[in-house]
Amino acid sequence: MMRHLITLRRIFAAGIKNFFRNSWLSIAATAVMVVALVIVLMAVVLNVVTRSAIAELSTNLKVSVYLQDNTDEALRKELQNEFFTNSNVDKVTFISKEEAQKQFAASFQEDKKLLEGLALIGGNTLPASFEVGVTDLSKLEDVGNTAKQEKYASIVESVSLGKTDVKKTIDRAANAQNFITSASIIAASIFAVVSMLIIFNTIRMAIFTRSEEIRTQKLLGATPGYIRGPFLVESSMYGVIAGIVASSIVLAAIYSLGNKVSGQAEFIESYDFLTKPSTIFAMYAASMLLGILVGIFSSTLAMGRYLKLKHW
Amino acid sequence: MILLDRVTKSYGRKSAALKGINLHVENKEFVVIVGQSKTGKSTLLKLLTREEKPSSGKIIVGGIDYDKLKDKNVPYLRRKIGVVFQDFKLIQKKTVFENVAYALEIVGMGNKEIKHTVPRVLNIVGLSNKADSYPSELSGGERQRVAIARAIARQPRILIADEPTGNLDPKHAWDVIEVLERINKYGTTVLLTTHNQDIVQKLNRRIVTIQDGKVVSDKAGNARGRQTI
Repeated sequence: MMRHLITLRRIFAAGIKNFFRNSWLSIAATAVMVVALVIVLMAVVLNVVTRSAIAELSTNLKVSVYLQDNTDEALRKELQNEFFTNSNVDKVTFISKEEAQKQFAASFQEDKKLLEGLALIGGNTLPASFEVGVTDLSKLEDVGNTAKQEKYASIVESVSLGKTDVKKTIDRAANAQNFITSASIIAASIFAVVSMLIIFNTIRMAIFTRSEEIRTQKLLGATPGYIRGPFLVESSMYGVIAGIVASSIVLAAIYSLGNKVSGQAEFIESYDFLTKPSTIFAMYAASMLLGILVGIFSSTLAMGRYLKLKHW
Repeated sequence: MILLDRVTKSYGRKSAALKGINLHVENKEFVVIVGQSKTGKSTLLKLLTREEKPSSGKIIVGGIDYDKLKDKNVPYLRRKIGVVFQDFKLIQKKTVFENVAYALEIVGMGNKEIKHTVPRVLNIVGLSNKADSYPSELSGGERQRVAIARAIARQPRILIADEPTGNLDPKHAWDVIEVLERINKYGTTVLLTTHNQDIVQKLNRRIVTIQDGKVVSDKAGNARGRQTI
């Protein structure tokens, strides 16, 4: 047990030493990996931001159903019930003519002339209505169609799908999200392949320059693990350092951009989420892990091809 | 200690490097293997360190039958055999002390034990005062003695020295041979290959001559070994 620990410590020490011995190659390998990781992290962050912005925009969706004056009470109740039983509806509010008048007056209380004008026309001109809250953007029209059924024609004056321009915004955001996701997957894959190639070659060159040493190690009775270990440590170090640098860059970007947009409702939630300590920790851990995996994968390929440990 | 029974080694279509070699080396024996270059000496040593496998025949070293030895156990076999190379195979960036310690690190020996062992071994080869020197600061003979120190640091039961004097002038060559004799006296079986007739004559040990991949003569020295076949 003790011997294993000693050996493990020596493998780590040798790997770290090799990392610094090939400092230029190490920097190149790490830098390319930083680029790949930054792209991946940015893609994730932008996904989180657009998703939560879409979620934020998707709330407060509503269908307004304006009713005729003097409607049939029973038919109105039936319509209301139909809304209630619809799973895409989260809230149904009935606004009577009086309430509509009050709300209108409240929102235009500054504009005395307008109110006086209305008073001159006389009576209450605003219709009673249902305000129906809808949970899902794509169901907005379905809910609207409920009120457009033939049987309600006698009580419904008109149906308005609220925030129609919001629908366009949401569509655009969703498209952007799709674009960001696919573009970043492509870019990250390219850089991942490039960094794998660079690490592969770095380890290959290290194997060539140390081939005599490796042969001596073999003849002195080193196990394959003892020979491979330092290379794995070396390539994992690219991953660890690249992970830390990439996360720090992305975190800095989140803070600097976040300060500018954090006042807007669409971004509050994602900004809070992204700057939570647990999220930051997860980001560092995940990117280091990803970097280590890429490093180990490519160095294992290089060793499998050039270390020739199968022939003892 | 070492037994080779009708061992043949051939590479591809070329004529065999070793043709049905029989060799038996007793425990604590000192055997000199003589032959011109490319007669199969190096192949023989490579078979013993399991760098290569024989095409046919049986090899048993220290009770280990090579036919039954799995690849994953080869490192543990090599830990029992010390090897000294003609070109030393020292690591230039490491000091004498570190080069010897290196062999001990590989087997997982603790730092404390290493600090205790290395000076003792350097003392045996007469290099106590060179522990902090780098290989490039040493003479050829001294370098070879470092290589010997590294090979014996783990107290192997067998020491294989492949042309250890090949690159040395006569005086340094004798320094190295004397160290090998001392190690043999302590109880290690020594297998030495050389084509230096001067050394062969003066050593007066068992001499096995290989020519064209065959053992052509096997003469006992003064004290040990078998009679001529």
